[in-house]
Amino acid sequence: MSAEVGRRSKRSASPSFRPRLPNTRAVSLSLYVVRRVLWMIPVIFFVVLITFVLMHLAPGSPWDKGGGRQLSQSVVRNLNIKYGLDKPVWQQFLLYVWNAAHFDFGLSYQYEGKTVASLILGGWPYTFTIGALAFCLVVPIGIGLGVLAALRQNTRTDYLTMTFATFGASFPNFVVGMLMIIVFGVLAYNVSGGNVSLPVTGFGLDDHLIMPVITLALLPTAYIARLTRASTLDTLRQEYVRTAWAKGLSERLVVLRHILRNSLIPVATALGPTFALLITGSVIVETVFAIPGIGRSFVTAVESRDYPMILGTTILFSVVIALANLVVDILYVFIDPRVRLD
Amino acid sequence: MHRSMFDFRLGRVLAVGAAMATVAAACGSTPASGPSGAAPASQQVLSINDQTEPNSYDPGQETYTYEAAVGRNVFEPLLKPKADLSDVTGAAASGYTVSSDGLTYTFHIRSNANWSDGKPVTGSDFVYGWKRLLNPALAAGYVDPFFDTNVAGAADYGKVDATNATAIDAFLSGLGLSAPNSKTFVVKLQHPAAYFKWVATLWVGAPIRQDVVESAAGGSFPSSDATKAEAWASNASTIIGNGPFKISAIVPKDHVTLVPNTHYWAGTAAIKQLTYDFIPDANTAFAKYRTGALDIINVQGANVTVVRNDPKLSKQAKLIPRLTAFWMAYNTKRSPLNNQDVRMALAKAIDRNQLTQDVLHGTDKPLTSFLPKGMLGYDNSDNAQSFDAAAAKQLLQKSGVSVADLNKMKLLTRNTTTNQTVNQFIIQQWKTNLGLDIQLNVIDSKTVTKMIRAGNFDIYGPDGWGADYPDPQDWADIFQSGSCHALNWGCPTLPGYDALVQKADASQSASSRLADYKTAQKQLIDTAAVGFLYQQYEYDLIQPWVTNMSITPIDDEYVPGDFYYQGVYIKKH
Amino acid sequence: MASAVAVPSQLIDWEQPEQIGLWGDAWARFRRNRLAVIGLTIVVLLILDALLAPALVHFGLLIDPLTQDVTHIEVGPGRFGHLLGTDELGRDTLTRLMYGARISLSIGIFVQAIVLVIGGTIGLTAGYVGGRVDNLLMRFTDIWYAFPDLIFVLVLVSVFGPSLLSIFGAIGIVNWVSLARLVRGQVLAIKEKEYVEAARATGSRPLKIVLRHLVPNSLGPIIVTLTFGVPQAIFLEATLSFIGVGIQPPTPTWGQMVNDGYQAVFANPSSVVFPSLAIGLTMLAFTFIGDGLRDALDPRMRR
Repeated sequence: MSAEVGRRSKRSASPSFRPRLPNTRAVSLSLYVVRRVLWMIPVIFFVVLITFVLMHLAPGSPWDKGGGRQLSQSVVRNLNIKYGLDKPVWQQFLLYVWNAAHFDFGLSYQYEGKTVASLILGGWPYTFTIGALAFCLVVPIGIGLGVLAALRQNTRTDYLTMTFATFGASFPNFVVGMLMIIVFGVLAYNVSGGNVSLPVTGFGLDDHLIMPVITLALLPTAYIARLTRASTLDTLRQEYVRTAWAKGLSERLVVLRHILRNSLIPVATALGPTFALLITGSVIVETVFAIPGIGRSFVTAVESRDYPMILGTTILFSVVIALANLVVDILYVFIDPRVRLD
Repeated sequence: MHRSMFDFRLGRVLAVGAAMATVAAACGSTPASGPSGAAPASQQVLSINDQTEPNSYDPGQETYTYEAAVGRNVFEPLLKPKADLSDVTGAAASGYTVSSDGLTYTFHIRSNANWSDGKPVTGSDFVYGWKRLLNPALAAGYVDPFFDTNVAGAADYGKVDATNATAIDAFLSGLGLSAPNSKTFVVKLQHPAAYFKWVATLWVGAPIRQDVVESAAGGSFPSSDATKAEAWASNASTIIGNGPFKISAIVPKDHVTLVPNTHYWAGTAAIKQLTYDFIPDANTAFAKYRTGALDIINVQGANVTVVRNDPKLSKQAKLIPRLTAFWMAYNTKRSPLNNQDVRMALAKAIDRNQLTQDVLHGTDKPLTSFLPKGMLGYDNSDNAQSFDAAAAKQLLQKSGVSVADLNKMKLLTRNTTTNQTVNQFIIQQWKTNLGLDIQLNVIDSKTVTKMIRAGNFDIYGPDGWGADYPDPQDWADIFQSGSCHALNWGCPTLPGYDALVQKADASQSASSRLADYKTAQKQLIDTAAVGFLYQQYEYDLIQPWVTNMSITPIDDEYVPGDFYYQGVYIKKH
Repeated sequence: MASAVAVPSQLIDWEQPEQIGLWGDAWARFRRNRLAVIGLTIVVLLILDALLAPALVHFGLLIDPLTQDVTHIEVGPGRFGHLLGTDELGRDTLTRLMYGARISLSIGIFVQAIVLVIGGTIGLTAGYVGGRVDNLLMRFTDIWYAFPDLIFVLVLVSVFGPSLLSIFGAIGIVNWVSLARLVRGQVLAIKEKEYVEAARATGSRPLKIVLRHLVPNSLGPIIVTLTFGVPQAIFLEATLSFIGVGIQPPTPTWGQMVNDGYQAVFANPSSVVFPSLAIGLTMLAFTFIGDGLRDALDPRMRR
């Protein structure tokens, strides 16, 4: 009693100057996030370094044209001077890193006069929108189909999802996309006399989005569905699930509480890079639907040896993937509290 | 003796347009001479698929045809080719005169030639534009060989220190470019060049407004600063041109929209909106055309068959000849291609009829000579390279080279669909007709260019050349020994060729030039310096409501009629 | 060996579940799985086709895949003596599909083998060892993910020259990353499970724990990733052939047939549909086999 009194009086006597220590798990998690974000810096540095080396090792210079009249030696010489390619490679690298640290990513070689930053930032919103929308389809449909197929293993539902998954993976994007264009674009136009059809190309916050988003979402949905199914099946065979089942809890409770939690780890692992890849764009979908995003940028940049663009898109992608993987790692902890990230 | 160029009065552009329409290979729409029957202004929209986005809207920096397609409608050079390509006609300049020694060209700029903001086009605009083009700091692609080998004082272009503003200024002030008054532009040449009038038709020779460039750059800047020099070309609002249209909106990677330049000297265009889409996928463009959302597209490959078999579409299709030729380049520095019989045998073993009619779906025509049909100097009388399997076999035997050595050769191929298809056909022809087993080497385009520049190949093809302008000089210079590793990958030894061609380039007599070029061509064919394959024809779909198109073989690739879009209008439909 | 009453002198050894005939046992269960058998049959037939196709051509049962019939370009199935139609140079699609199996099947199988070895090892190590090793390996994976694969392949080919080995290497080296992360995730989750703790407590060697418990329990998603990787690798080969790695035309591969067929999708849709079906069939076969394998190896499926 006296101790308590003492404590009480101590508490009232000295309001604590020290901030209350919050939940320790939140603290350790935040520290983990900070550490991972700091780790991104050396990761990006190495990515830039390796890309730089590879770029300059790759055969073909930015000034070799694909066909027709090639540029003369004097013009090539002047171009190299103009873009600093006459300096030694290590010097170019240090200069690039210095500028990049100040968020100056240079001028594109291919698009004269345009900065890499403006090109990427200009095209990314389109790519991001389509990718994010596709992701919003992939997650519920993929996971939903997967769980359903697992619960109804070896029934018609299961076989249908398996067929869907197989076609999604073996018919490439451009075939599916073009099929949709033919059916919903051309045929619909002809049949309805020009009134009802989906627009074939371009970006718009309207029905322009339907075909590209669906095409983009097809393969990831198939993969996530199969992955969820496999992981759910693994979980379904665990003893405690059988026990819970035997207890007679309504099936839905069992599914939601136990199974999902345990089967979502591999799915979450796959969803991270899936998200990253979706929002940085698919070159095929953007080519078929003529979307002015950055999905094509990387391939075009490599084809034309546009070094600053290659570096710019690579940095963007490495940041996105590192962040996505970080989010996934944190999700692990929330999905399965036993997982420990040291 | 003064040579005076006739003073061309264009008059109604539509009248000229009507004349042009007869050049088109197949006329689908009747050339109406007036806008009666024209759709209301809101429907005067022309949408074309340019396929690839221009890398720049600065005409001096534009080197590809898909860039020139936009550039030549927003800017206008001094002259432009006549409809029948027989000569030049006035564009921004009404005419020109040449001094008797052929070294000075005086261009008379039209009194009513205006920029899109209403200011008049002056001689100093051309001086500024050409000097900017020749500025080494800008490193414009097409400065060579057209300008640095012709304009007086420009021969040292390759030697100027591009980082030194003083050196650049000294070089630029030493150029033979001047504007004695506001409506005259004078060019002094290094040597007489009968083809120089054609150089003046190139879109890169457009005038540029110094005040526009400097205001976009935030004031005047040293000539060694290329970034400031290019700043004006990034925004539609600062791209002031003197062409029939001006840019109203640029959506990167998607499309660029042009509207008429109301101050254009020949009047305001009938088309109120000209849109160039950048749709890279041919199938997508085909689908979009069929929904009526595109007016002009190019059709390639198997889609040609689809169009031909469609009763409605086949009427909208046009087969347009182009001044583009393709050949196989032989690396004559490597055995066994240093043997003329081997080269000739390989050329004679290809059935060009099957290649063009079947494999290429009839959208190209066989060519066994150098200059394509429609080019000045076209001459198909020499059949040395035409298909003859028996003769080819005999030549191969006569050459004495073993089959094993021949099979070591590889056919270097760029990684495009057409090139791969054509080359697979060709090696099959060599197999069937000569019993050879030559392999393909398909590599990405840039690497191929690197390899051919280094002479690191056996056979490379199809190598193509599209005319920059309809003068044989543009073609003949390819095979000069100085162009080895630059334009002429196989480096064939052609005794007497250089002298002959240079004489023809400089000569002022039209007839003697043509004769010399023909002789040079014959030499190329007979020595099988390269193996000629086919001439490109273009198969395009044009919607039936597009009226008054003026299509010439020198139009930019896949954008038929782009020299004369100001005369086009949309019919009521 | 099942005895209802445990003999006291025998400790129940969690490390040695009825090991006798595990593989034989697994095979028996595999055989009972109808779909798995179908899948295996398809793969065997494909392999046979790959081996025998040249012989069939030799004996005139199949048209030579390189013979061009340019007057019959892009004809539909069943016309002019071509069961499945022709391609852009008039070559018989059926033959090219059968020949294509030789390349595409090898790529599908061998690349996934490489991916399994590299990705599996790294994922297992990172997940099981944890700590600093996990962090370093995962950061290494991050770098590899962001890797510009196209350029890497270009350089690889320019250094080592084009060959079948470079393709396998190029595709495999680039694609192991997702498997590594997947395996690591699985290991992290399973590491904390009771039976692993129990195994550790009884002093089993780490490698044994890994092989006995982790691998069978995390097999499902791994198998799915590998089976999805098969068509991926086939398409990647087609992309790589564009930059000059390995398979040069006119040798047929399914991936290139799909790419070329796409150009003619309006004129002759079957030229893109049939190769896609071939790829799909292969993938389906591997899916069945994979599912069957997982079921067969699952220690809990003992009945």
